[in-house]
Amino acid sequence: MIAEDTLVQDLQHPETLSQAFEVLVDTYKQRLYWHIRRIVLNHDDADDVLQNTFIKVYKNIKGFKGESKLYSWMYRIATNEALTFLKSNARKLEIGSGELQDRMLGNLKADVYFEGDAIQLKLQKAIAKLPEKQKLVFNMKYFEELKYTEISEILETSVGGLKASYHLAVKKIEAYLKEDT
Amino acid sequence: MKELNNKNPFKTPEAYFEGFSERLMKKLSEKEIDIPNNEGFIVPNSYFEGVHKNIRQRLDAEDTKVIPLHPFKKYYFAAASIAAVTLVILMFNQNTSKEITFEDIANTDIENYFEDNWSDFSPYEIAEVVPVDELEIRDFMSNTLNDDIILNYLDNNTDEFEELNLEYDE
Repeated sequence: MIAEDTLVQDLQHPETLSQAFEVLVDTYKQRLYWHIRRIVLNHDDADDVLQNTFIKVYKNIKGFKGESKLYSWMYRIATNEALTFLKSNARKLEIGSGELQDRMLGNLKADVYFEGDAIQLKLQKAIAKLPEKQKLVFNMKYFEELKYTEISEILETSVGGLKASYHLAVKKIEAYLKEDT
Repeated sequence: MKELNNKNPFKTPEAYFEGFSERLMKKLSEKEIDIPNNEGFIVPNSYFEGVHKNIRQRLDAEDTKVIPLHPFKKYYFAAASIAAVTLVILMFNQNTSKEITFEDIANTDIENYFEDNWSDFSPYEIAEVVPVDELEIRDFMSNTLNDDIILNYLDNNTDEFEELNLEYDE
């Protein structure tokens, strides 16, 4: 795998930008896709947000100062894009974020790109009930298997706070899954 | 005392200890509810292979849209900078003139202000807040007249002083 520093340098030079961008997309497309998919749930929406994320990265890479790592910078853009997408959807439909989550879960049952059984659907319902921060932390830790230090850099939160959020999220999800089973 | 020590007041259900091991083993074999590791999300076939191509297409489409605007942009910037410099020069020149005072405000502006902002007040209500008692006739006149001018006017325009019905202190 290409070193991050070299990749950033190549991305910031017009002669090497195109090729370096292809490497960047190939390296991070899957990780960012799944991160986005867990927020927006639907494949088509995840695809839109993923493309917007990479386009934003492409347009702003010149201004990337290297104060944070490239991947955490891109994760941050992906998170913001996904959350903004949900907010603008809620605004368009003139509904609150809670109602939007209900609709998203309702659509999941009919989604051809969701093959989950009853327990997996229940898991999504449990995650949807979490506050935004706990939801992000749970997905990033449990499914994406990111380290607390990495999540801390992406979400710009203390490791202690993240651990507390994750612990609470797991407890709530377990409690929800135990209900009526 | 001896009798008391030998008597256990607590009881257990019948055959409690006989069935204990069996019940414990049953409880241990019950599965803990785990959070699934697989969420059930899937993607279309070969989706990830086409991601870069799709993004590239969008970037190219955006680039071609932007190109024709560049020459105009230069003129906009030039025009904007000239306008900005002119504005700054004008502002500096204006700063040299004296400060705006109440005298500089046109009467019509004052009238318009009162018409727009005092429309809800009747003349009587306005009179209550304006100290009419302290006003002199001269406060309403743009030019003050001295006594000589007034006397000359009266000389020329009245036939008899008596007609004025002036009261003398004498």
